[in-house]
Amino acid sequence: MVTPYGIKFSVHIITSHFGNLVAKVCEKLLTRGPLTLQLLIRFTELNSLQVKNSLLILIQHNCVQAFSAEESGGIANKQTPTQYLVLFDNILHRLRFPKFLEIVAQELDENCAELLEGLLQHGRLTQEQIYERAKSIKSGDCADQSGVQEHFRKLVNDRFIERCPAPEPFIAESTPEETPAKKRGAKATKLVEVKKTLEQRVLEEAAVMEAQRFSIMEDLETDIDAEKSKDSSSIVRLGEKRKGDLLELDGDFSFNNKEVTLWRANFEEFLRCLRHKACVESVRARLDDGAAIVLKALLKATRGAEKKVKMENSVPLSLDSIFEEVMKSEAGRTMTLDRVRASLDQLGCPSSMGIDDSYSIDLKKIIELSQNEEVESIVLNRYGRDGYRVFRLLSKAGHLLETDKISEMTFVEKKDTPKILYKLWQDEYLHMEKMVVNTKQFLLWKVNKSILCEHVLDEMYHAALNLSLRSTHEMEQHKELLNLPAGQCTGPMEKKRLWLRSVRIYLVSSLLKLDDAIMLFHDF
Amino acid sequence: MSRLQGPSSLKRKRPDSNSPSGSLTEHERILYDVIRSKQDMGIWTRDLKREANLPDNVVAKSLKSLLTKKLIKEVVNIQNKGRKHLMAAEFEPSKEISGGDWYVDGSLDTEFIDFLKDQFVKIIYKQRVATLEGILDVIRRSGILKVEITTQQIQEIVRVLVLDDKVMEVKSNGMGEFDSIPVGKVCFKCTNKAGLKGEPKVGAMASIPCGVCPRISYCTPDGIISPSTCVYYTKWLDF
Ligand code: SF4
Repeated sequence: MVTPYGIKFSVHIITSHFGNLVAKVCEKLLTRGPLTLQLLIRFTELNSLQVKNSLLILIQHNCVQAFSAEESGGIANKQTPTQYLVLFDNILHRLRFPKFLEIVAQELDENCAELLEGLLQHGRLTQEQIYERAKSIKSGDCADQSGVQEHFRKLVNDRFIERCPAPEPFIAESTPEETPAKKRGAKATKLVEVKKTLEQRVLEEAAVMEAQRFSIMEDLETDIDAEKSKDSSSIVRLGEKRKGDLLELDGDFSFNNKEVTLWRANFEEFLRCLRHKACVESVRARLDDGAAIVLKALLKATRGAEKKVKMENSVPLSLDSIFEEVMKSEAGRTMTLDRVRASLDQLGCPSSMGIDDSYSIDLKKIIELSQNEEVESIVLNRYGRDGYRVFRLLSKAGHLLETDKISEMTFVEKKDTPKILYKLWQDEYLHMEKMVVNTKQFLLWKVNKSILCEHVLDEMYHAALNLSLRSTHEMEQHKELLNLPAGQCTGPMEKKRLWLRSVRIYLVSSLLKLDDAIMLFHDF
Repeated sequence: MSRLQGPSSLKRKRPDSNSPSGSLTEHERILYDVIRSKQDMGIWTRDLKREANLPDNVVAKSLKSLLTKKLIKEVVNIQNKGRKHLMAAEFEPSKEISGGDWYVDGSLDTEFIDFLKDQFVKIIYKQRVATLEGILDVIRRSGILKVEITTQQIQEIVRVLVLDDKVMEVKSNGMGEFDSIPVGKVCFKCTNKAGLKGEPKVGAMASIPCGVCPRISYCTPDGIISPSTCVYYTKWLDF
């Protein structure tokens, strides 16, 4: 779901990371959908070089994917000019880099995290460049080369990094089943749907084959080739960073150095980890530690087998394997088989499923419960206890209920109920329908989950934007203070400086927390 | 009036049926018959005047007399508390007029409801898993209530506790803590948040100013209401 504030917030992220020009290009792509270079120049009113450079930066950082499509109705196989598709999700992932690094530091080690940091900073790098950067950080410790290679291998094996997708996939004309969607595209509401289909197709087309995506073997040969032609422009020194990287692309934006394999962080795997973590924590809060330990072990064992991020159910696993995995974790060592079975039961897998049957947990349900909790917490704090009860009644009921009935079932005063309902409706938390029976009018209410989720998500993007804007504002306001050397601050000034520090920490951590909630509604 | 003190109002008294309705004037009789014909719905005085078709002063006088003779009574109509609503003395207001069991004189008996909620949470917490009948049993034996309470009423209170997220509904699987309860029977457990005082966990959004801001839809980066001028933020960051 790309909502209006979602667009504003992502443009804000790009502005603060790459400046106004890049943000302008990005904004046009977000609001207008995929565009050609010519159209981008027209819409942004920037010159061709500015747009090209902006696009290169966005591509380098995995925020834009180029593609070309078969011209519809035209001569067969005639290609249209290259189009650029913005990847909204990947822009938001930029906020999550600290979370990604933490995962790698925990699951692997600090060295691997350091290697990943380079990739996150530069977007895409060749193996050679990754090694070079690692060397330059460790100030010329060449003996460490094999160590760095080992860290790289670990990252690939655990799927935390992957080969970059094809630079410009070719999209054949849509198959007949997709044509109706295109026609409906005339209606504004359906536009998103069509765009989504296209985005999915482009990403699918660009994706590296699963077998190659995490293979280093072939790359080693390429390395040797690269070694031979060390002076060629395909290898870019890191000091020249972004500008340098761009030289890899020629003026026509096509990669002609096909043999150079670029690597990047595998966002999908990180999201999977974060989703699992969110599920485990939700279960811990709602059920108990035992259920959390079992779920964590189960998800860890099956992570590699998951085919997509939004898995509805966990990959089936036998009780024996679950038990074995639980025993591996420190927290689970004291659990008995009976206890594990009881926890699985709590998690919604009744033991009647039999000994040799495998267990699979309903993850979608867990995510939904967490989403409900988040929304209900907003309602409680915004509309009070009575509003909370009314909202929960409607949310659980899942169908229309009449005002008086609602009042009766929630013990809210009959005269207060319509006011509460109206407020919730006005703020788009409820759906209302009028019904007339014998000239008497009744109002019926319900929660429309999908519309509500989209609305809440938009409010979250709005709130996230406000948080960052306020953060920037506070820092601007006290710029002089930040520029003063620490030693020069005394008395009240020192106090103010400490305050500013806490403000920054407070705002940054609030944004990270809010981003967890955004992922809950958008990515999980 | 609360059901916590005083005599039971859930078990309402029936008036003496031998009341002196024989000694009515002709006008009083007409009015009384109209009111009585409405049974437990009663009638609004203006509608009464229209139906009886009598002059205003006669109506006023006769009604006064009927009230003193305790043949009719004034009741609060929950739909419109400002209107004078009359009913024959032998009827109790219907649910539409009174608002139902939990209403007393046209207002929700919150004191009574809160008292019951409190007691029920304590009972469920103590029993770990409780059924409606179990709660009823404890209530009856403890004698904390001076009025009768039905399983239906218990169910209504427990439903609200579920909506408050203090209690959750679970189905017995006949094992462990459920071993004395038939499989499939609906039972109730305290949620982790109940803790007898706890509030639900504050979500990420609800813990920042914008998450609970009533003006979020008017707030824009460069508008009159904006994050950089926002007073909620100033207050929030005042530490
Ligand atoms: S910045 Fe202030 S005014 Fe704007 S939405 Fe947030 S709390 Fe409300």
